[in-house]
Amino acid sequence: MTGAIAAIANLKGGVGKSTTTVMLADGLAHFYGMNVLVIDLDPQANSSQMLLTERGVQAASDQGKSGHHLLAEFVAGRDAQAGPYIIPNAVTLEELRIDEEQDERRGWISILPSHPQLRLRELSLEEEWYSRAGTPTTLAEALATYLKAAIEPLLPLYDIILLDCPPHLSPLARAGLAIADVYITPTIADSVSTWGTKQFSDWVGRYIAPDLPVRNFVLITRFRDTRYARQVVSELREIYLSDRWFGPTIPESVQILNAMDRAAPDSYNTLRGKYGSIRGDVRRLAERFTDFLSQRTGATWQKIRD
Amino acid sequence: MAEDPGLTASEYLDRFFDELRDEVRANPKFASRVVKALGGNVIFENEARADVANPYILAANGSKSQFYSTFASMKIGQIRQVLRDNNLATRLDMAGKSPEQLIDMLFDRASSKVNERKSSLF
Repeated sequence: MTGAIAAIANLKGGVGKSTTTVMLADGLAHFYGMNVLVIDLDPQANSSQMLLTERGVQAASDQGKSGHHLLAEFVAGRDAQAGPYIIPNAVTLEELRIDEEQDERRGWISILPSHPQLRLRELSLEEEWYSRAGTPTTLAEALATYLKAAIEPLLPLYDIILLDCPPHLSPLARAGLAIADVYITPTIADSVSTWGTKQFSDWVGRYIAPDLPVRNFVLITRFRDTRYARQVVSELREIYLSDRWFGPTIPESVQILNAMDRAAPDSYNTLRGKYGSIRGDVRRLAERFTDFLSQRTGATWQKIRD
Repeated sequence: MAEDPGLTASEYLDRFFDELRDEVRANPKFASRVVKALGGNVIFENEARADVANPYILAANGSKSQFYSTFASMKIGQIRQVLRDNNLATRLDMAGKSPEQLIDMLFDRASSKVNERKSSLF
């Protein structure tokens, strides 16, 4: 097991990055028994909230387990270690909880949670860095080196590491993009989001990954089946992102909103109960993504559930 | 589909393809999507043309002459419908324009949109 690092990223907000992160974590852990580490780099902390609840996010931060604590270690010049800041079990699915109870060594979802404090910590770091004649680029590079070193010892423990990136280019967000092996780009079938995919392609292609098309998995989310939306999808597939790998189209659904609202930190649900009529989409997402990853890395995964 | 012990595998497939054929005949947009998914290209009759012609895809993937020949045989109402349906012109923009002027507008605006939305690197 050597974890690939996948950045869930788009420079446009509101396209479903955090929801995609959680659906993918659930799908890969449930259907393939993959051990998943979610690293939430977004100070909005949405995927942390979806997996741990608001109370859980605050409790994690209070216990010193959050991204801003890792950033404090960087500021203090201490060794890079992500392990102490990780919540080792963030599963919300009953099937995975039972696996864990029976000590099945599969289907973990762990999380290095975020907290709104992360952006404040990063801002104060930026002020200090720039006052010493540093630049955003040198800070992003230093953070990437630190983050990579912090994660490296964990790679043998996980099949996949999902970096939930914020919709902007702060130094920490750039560091996340820089250490990723592949990029998952959720987008919506409308004109402003289509333009957003161009901004993402241009920036990441120019500064991070010149081979972006072969490392990019695109997912159309919140799809409302209208003539206009179908047309935009066909334009994305045939014109703007014709060189990318596409996942299934995820419908707009109240069920997804409910699925992302965990009742309490000790509340669990079955896959069927959590995702209802869209559980087939979660399965297809996991299938398509493992196909994409196999093609990229040569690794293969066996399904453990249908 | 419920299992019917009276049908062979090929009869099941015949039923499936009959359904598919019927839908393709009745629904030009569906037909266009199916044929595109199979990598083909189909010429549609006049009435269906405005429904399936996507000016963005034609501007991006085809030649200018192919673009013009696709729309030149349409009636003015169909060209206006394509412009409107693709958010490429308002009624005000189209007022008083000849079919030739409307096709010019369609090509210019669709081409510009494609260039604006396409990555400058890939």
